[in-house]
Amino acid sequence: MLDIKDTAPEQDFADPIAGDPRNFAAAVNNWVPHDIVLKDAWFPLAHSFAVVDKPARRSVYSQPFYLWRENGVAVAAEFHPNDTDPTDKSDFSDAAGRYPVLEHYGYVWCWFGNPANADPAHLPSIPYLPAEGNLPKHMLGTVRFDCTAPLSLENLIDLTHADFLHADVVGDEKMDKEVVEVFYDSETITMVRRCTNKSVAPIMKWFGGVKSDVQQVRQVIRIYLRSHAAIAYGRFSPGDNVQLFHPCVPETRDRTRLDYAMNTSNVKKSNLFRYLMPKASYKVSRQDSTMTSPQSPRYMNPETRKDLHSPLDEAGQKYRVLMTALAERQARGDFAYRDNVSADCSEIIGYDGK
Amino acid sequence: MTEDVWWAVARSEEVTGDKPINIDIGDQPVVLWRDKDGFVRALEDRCPHRRAPLSLGCVLASGAIQCGYHGWTYDGESGRLVDIPNLKGEQKYPPIYRAVPFAVSEGGGFVRICLNAKAAAPVSPTTETLPLSGTENVSLSHEHLIAALFDDPALVIAIKGVHYTPYLMSELAEQNGKLVLERSCQWKSPHWPAPFSSDFPITLRIGTDPVTGETDLLLRDNAFNTLLSATVAPVPAARGVTQVRWRAKLGSTRPGLMAKMLGFGTPFRILPSVNGAALRTLKPSASIHAAALREEIRSHQAAAHNVAA
Ligand code: FES
Ligand SMILES: [Fe+2]
Repeated sequence: MLDIKDTAPEQDFADPIAGDPRNFAAAVNNWVPHDIVLKDAWFPLAHSFAVVDKPARRSVYSQPFYLWRENGVAVAAEFHPNDTDPTDKSDFSDAAGRYPVLEHYGYVWCWFGNPANADPAHLPSIPYLPAEGNLPKHMLGTVRFDCTAPLSLENLIDLTHADFLHADVVGDEKMDKEVVEVFYDSETITMVRRCTNKSVAPIMKWFGGVKSDVQQVRQVIRIYLRSHAAIAYGRFSPGDNVQLFHPCVPETRDRTRLDYAMNTSNVKKSNLFRYLMPKASYKVSRQDSTMTSPQSPRYMNPETRKDLHSPLDEAGQKYRVLMTALAERQARGDFAYRDNVSADCSEIIGYDGK
Repeated sequence: MTEDVWWAVARSEEVTGDKPINIDIGDQPVVLWRDKDGFVRALEDRCPHRRAPLSLGCVLASGAIQCGYHGWTYDGESGRLVDIPNLKGEQKYPPIYRAVPFAVSEGGGFVRICLNAKAAAPVSPTTETLPLSGTENVSLSHEHLIAALFDDPALVIAIKGVHYTPYLMSELAEQNGKLVLERSCQWKSPHWPAPFSSDFPITLRIGTDPVTGETDLLLRDNAFNTLLSATVAPVPAARGVTQVRWRAKLGSTRPGLMAKMLGFGTPFRILPSVNGAALRTLKPSASIHAAALREEIRSHQAAAHNVAA
C-alpha cells in the first residue's frame, strides 16, 4: 500500500466532472472509499500543544508517526526513539527515519508520501486560524469517528443531514428556501449553502443571545481533498459566525481522528456561545457517528446496488468523483498538485476577517 | 435459507408505532414498525440513499418511516420513497426510488416476515395469543440450538421444577410435516434416579418445523393434563446468534404440588447462554435422525406439489 511510484507527472488531465455524464455517474456509484489512499499531502496530526518532549504516537493509514520536540522544534519520525531495533523503514521518511514536518495554524503537520515532494506550498489555506496558532485550549479538541475518513467528509459536505441529525443543536429543516452551490478544482471542493428564514439553531437561541425565530444562513464547507481536511464556515444573521477547522485524519482506512479548532474569538467574551460552541463538537460528532459508524462497513466493498441520489447531493457526488479522479491519477504515478491549495481562500469562502 | 420461509421475528408487543426496531434474518437486516392503521411494516434496514439503518429513524404520523440521516421517507407497504423533506414542494419519485419491502403476517402474538415480498401468507398461523412471552438472544447458531433442543433441552430451555431425562417415549419422527419427539421428565423433587425409575410423572412433547425450527412444546402429566404449552421461535440472526421469541401458557388443571408451583415466579425461560463444556460433550441422539427426516419431508412436499401441479 505504501510504495511510491513517481513517474511522469505531465499526463492529460480531463475535468472528471465536466466530462461525459455517464463517467460521472459511474464514478459516483463505484464509490468504495476504503480503497482510496491518497499520498503526497500534509496531514495535521496534532494540535501544537499536544506535541511535547515525550513522543506522541499518531498514524496515517496505519503508518506510524511519532511526534515530539527537540529544542522546541517539532519533529516526526517513523520509529519511537526508544525503539532499539527499527526495521522495515518505509520510503515515506528520510534515511534517519524522519518525516517532513511543518508547524502552522496551531497544528503540527506531517507529510505523508514521497519526502522529496514535501512543499509548504501544498499546505491548505485556513483564513480564520492565526498562522502562529495560540488559540486558547477551550477552542480545541479531539473527537474520533469509527468510519472511513471520506465518509466523515461526505457527511460534512452534505448539510441537509444536519437538519435531521443535529436539529437539537443547529435547528431543523424548516426554512423558506435552500440554495446549494458547488465549486471545485482538482484539489479542493467548496460547497455554499444559503438558507432563507431557517429555524434558529437552538444553541444560538439558548446561549448565543439570538432572539428571533428565524435566521439567514450561509454555510461553507471546503475540503482539501488530499489532506482530508475541511473548513466549515457559517455566517448567521442574526447570530455570530462559526469558524471551524475540521481535519479528518485517516488513522486507518476505517477510523478517523478529528483534532478540531473552533475559533470563537469573534464572539463577545461575555457571550456563553464563545465557550459552549466549541464543545458542541462532542455532541454533534456522536450524532454523526450513529450514522457513519453503521455506514462504514457498508462501503467497504464494491456494491452492485447503486446509491440513490437527490439534487441536494450534488456536493457529495462531486466529492466522490474528485477523490476517485485523484486516486486514479496517483495510480498512474501522477502525484503533482495541479491547483494551489495554499493560496488564501478568504474570497472563496466569503470570509471578511470579521 | 430459502426465500419463501416465514420467520417469527418479533412478538406483537415489541413492534409499535413509537420507535422502529431492528432484527435480522441471517445477514439480512430488517426494520419493523407499526403504521397508523396498526399494520406491521418491514423493510430492509438500509436506506437506499446512503445506506444508513432505517431503524435509527422515526415513524411519522402518516405511518411512513423517516430515515434519521437526511429524512428520506418511505411507505411501509411498497417501500417507495414518498418524501425528501429538504426538496420543498410536491415531488414525484420514479419507482426505483424505494427500499426493499418484505411480506408481513401477524398472528398468535407473533410477527412473521418473509423475505419474498410476494409470498403467500403462511398457511396456519397460530391464532391463540399465549399470555406469557419473552425474547432472548442466544449465542448459539440456529442449527446447533435446535439440535440441542432435540438432544438435551436442559441446555437451552428451563421449565420451572422440570428435569429432563435422557429417555424418550417416542423418538424423533415426522408427524404432519413436523419433527416430533416426546421425552420423559421428572420433577426436581426427591425421586429415584432416572435410570432406575419405572415410570415418569411428566413428559415433554416437542414438535419442530423442519426449516424454521419453530417449535411447539407440550408439558403433560401422566393423567394427560396439559401443564404448560409454549411456542418457541428461533431465528438465525447476525454473527451466528439465534434470536428466540417465545410465548407460553399454563394449563388450567395442574394437580400436585410441583405442577401448582409452576404458576409462581417464572415458569418458562430460554437460556441466554449455553454451557459450552456440556454442549461440546453432548451425545448426539435424536438430532442424528433430524437431517434424514428433513430430507424426507422435503421430498414428500415436492411430490405433493408435483401432484397438485
Ligand atoms: S441515508 Fe437515509 S436519508 Fe440519507
Ligand atoms: Fe454532521
